[in-house]
Amino acid sequence: MDLLRPLIKSFQKFKIMQLEIQNISKKYSRNKYGLKDFSMTIDKGILGLLGPNGAGKSTLLKMIATVSKPTDGVILLNKNNIVKDANYMRKKLGFLPQDFGVYPNLNAFEFLEYMAAMKGVGGKDSKLRITQLLEGLNLIDAAKKPIGSYSGGMKQRVGIAQALLNDPKLIIFDEPTVGLDPEERVRFRNLISDLANECIIILSSHIVSDIDTIADRVAVMKSGTLITEGVQEDIIKSVSEKVFETVIDKAHFSSFKNEQIVVSTTRENGRLKVRYISKTPIGNSVQKLANLEDAYLYLTKTN
Amino acid sequence: MKLFFKTIKYDYLQRTRSYAFLITLCASLAIAYTFVPEPNANYSTIRIADFVGDYNAAWFGYVTAIMTSVFLSLIGFYLVNSGIKVDIDTKVGQIVFSTAVTNFKYLFSKVLSNFFVLLTIVGIVFLMSIVLFFLYNNGTSFNLFQFIKPYTLITIPSLFFVSVIAVVFEVCFGRYSIIQNVLFFFLFSIMMVFVPKTEAQYALDVFGNKIVIHEMEEMVRLVSGTNEKQDLAIGYVLGNTTKASKFNFNGIDFPLIFILSRLLWMCFGICIIALISYFFHRFDVKEHLSTKLKSRVNKSSIDKDISLSQLTKLKTNYSIFPILKTEILLLIRKEKKWLWLINVIGMVLLTLVPFKMAHQIGLPILWFLQVSRLSNLVTKETFNNTHYFVFASYKPLQRVLFSQILAGIMLMLFLSAPLIIRCIIEINYVALSAVVLGAVFIVLLASALGILSNGKKLFEVLFFMITYANINGIKFVDYFGGFQTEYTYILKLLILVCTLVSLVFFMRRNQLKNMT
Repeated sequence: MDLLRPLIKSFQKFKIMQLEIQNISKKYSRNKYGLKDFSMTIDKGILGLLGPNGAGKSTLLKMIATVSKPTDGVILLNKNNIVKDANYMRKKLGFLPQDFGVYPNLNAFEFLEYMAAMKGVGGKDSKLRITQLLEGLNLIDAAKKPIGSYSGGMKQRVGIAQALLNDPKLIIFDEPTVGLDPEERVRFRNLISDLANECIIILSSHIVSDIDTIADRVAVMKSGTLITEGVQEDIIKSVSEKVFETVIDKAHFSSFKNEQIVVSTTRENGRLKVRYISKTPIGNSVQKLANLEDAYLYLTKTN
Repeated sequence: MKLFFKTIKYDYLQRTRSYAFLITLCASLAIAYTFVPEPNANYSTIRIADFVGDYNAAWFGYVTAIMTSVFLSLIGFYLVNSGIKVDIDTKVGQIVFSTAVTNFKYLFSKVLSNFFVLLTIVGIVFLMSIVLFFLYNNGTSFNLFQFIKPYTLITIPSLFFVSVIAVVFEVCFGRYSIIQNVLFFFLFSIMMVFVPKTEAQYALDVFGNKIVIHEMEEMVRLVSGTNEKQDLAIGYVLGNTTKASKFNFNGIDFPLIFILSRLLWMCFGICIIALISYFFHRFDVKEHLSTKLKSRVNKSSIDKDISLSQLTKLKTNYSIFPILKTEILLLIRKEKKWLWLINVIGMVLLTLVPFKMAHQIGLPILWFLQVSRLSNLVTKETFNNTHYFVFASYKPLQRVLFSQILAGIMLMLFLSAPLIIRCIIEINYVALSAVVLGAVFIVLLASALGILSNGKKLFEVLFFMITYANINGIKFVDYFGGFQTEYTYILKLLILVCTLVSLVFFMRRNQLKNMT
């Protein structure tokens, strides 16, 4: 059996697609951590990564993408330590950073060809794949114009296209829908859900609606730590029977906000209709069906 | 008014809180240390025929003030000539101009911010000059006034005017940084060769040092008992180790007209700013252009859904040629197309002018014209915010960095092709090797300084100084074999190139490791 073990291991390397994050930390100074003792295992499918600004989402994603090294811990992709062997990850990675730029003097086609070369892919079919991606992302008309003349949303779509260039097995999207109009957001979701069966997709956002429609699993982060991780239904269970709606006077809103976790407010006949989370609801409240946004707010406010 | 000063303060802080500025300060300190040579040093900075001044307070004060005025005017322009550009790139300018600020107030605040940045460096040099006095003085007493007077009347007005010129050029030539750089280079050279004939004409000397040099020459004539014009050397002259005679220099009494002229230069600068403020674009030009372009590119209407899993699969291809091709494309497109005309003219001149002139003057100038291309070579990832893509690419050192350096070398060799061909025709292999190694050296220097400082300025300033020194025939900084013809020189250059290669790859590897 021992003799077969290396063979089984190498076979597993080809079969499975698994990312293991083991106790990683990113220390900036003596007492300042971007990420602290973070562990998680991610399998094929779409993982939605939620967290408020400064939660450490981008720090984590940059470490997975090999552009930043953890201070402690290891990251394994199919049992390969990518902290040591970054190129193993780079060959399989598609990465869209949160805040990225482009070379304004290149057009979209040239930029994507350049990106393909950097990722180590090419061949005679590269032009075809780039054209297909540009068509899918609604950029084909502008493909020969300098990227410097593109709008923010168009640049974002060029970024998405480059992440999908090399037929990646692990795709990281850090705030991918920034700058996209509602129609493009829907288009983006449709585009990537197609890949969920083949690869690991990590989708980071602080906008819950970007995540709840497509993510198979959800992880919530805060202050560099993982608060919870699981399928959406399980996470929502944490606030079931705690979400209520009531109508209050505007004058009372300030004190109400201090006592309860307010999810949203809408104006109604000069008063405020408030959706809130509480274990002890006020008198005239109506219980509502909880959703991911409620759970996310509850978890980040109470942890 | 309070708001105006706050604008200057924060602009100043923004510029000085950078690694590049810290390096500049350290470099200034090191350079200032050499302004007055140690008594047994084998170089001189200011020397009139065989005479240098007694090492008293006046000599230290005046020499360091003159050297600062000349050198900081030269490099200072390149340090501060991007104040408005930064506001364009960061889009802070648009925010500023959505307030009630006037063009004049904004531009004048940029002048003052430039001036304070340069003044900080002057402060460091000033302190170093006092330290030098206490290190090397010949037993004479310390007189602070002999330091304050030349710095106040020579250095400070010069730097104020340079601060003005930097803003004027930015307003007039916008994003054409290459025109700004070259034009200042010529302006500086013209001002340096200007020789006043009368007392009134000294007022026209913007650097304010000619009057002091003239007085020094007069004193030397008096001491040596000759009426002949004295051979003046200003700048770093190496190897003149013959024991210099001393003359007693106790400073000069500046004529009233000169003192007034220094004030007038500053007022003149303010007037120019007031004048150009009428033409300032208020950050509207670029927006206007991009709106025009956007209207063209926004009309994308195809709405074809695709299935990513069905897309054509790409093959593994680790060839660096596609990267190299794009790197060359980026280098070519870095500046406006019509500026290539200047390069073509330069190449034609390399073909037609006498070989020596082409090699010693034509080549360094033509290469210097590529300064913004070279400084952008390995820093464009940072400035264009594409570093996540580049640094997460497959083998970023062996493939991307190598391609970048290779593209830079190819550009420099292409520009020097006429000279290379002439070397081959003349069977001058030393010159040929030197030109090739020079191209490699300057590209590697740009890469090393770009990675080290994570910015462009350090290389741009140094390249300017190296070019200026080469045009003035200083052998020490000859990196392309214009003045050296020995094989040992080629060997030294080769060693330098090898060292730089290792350094560049080592620093980039560290940069990749330490990315946060």
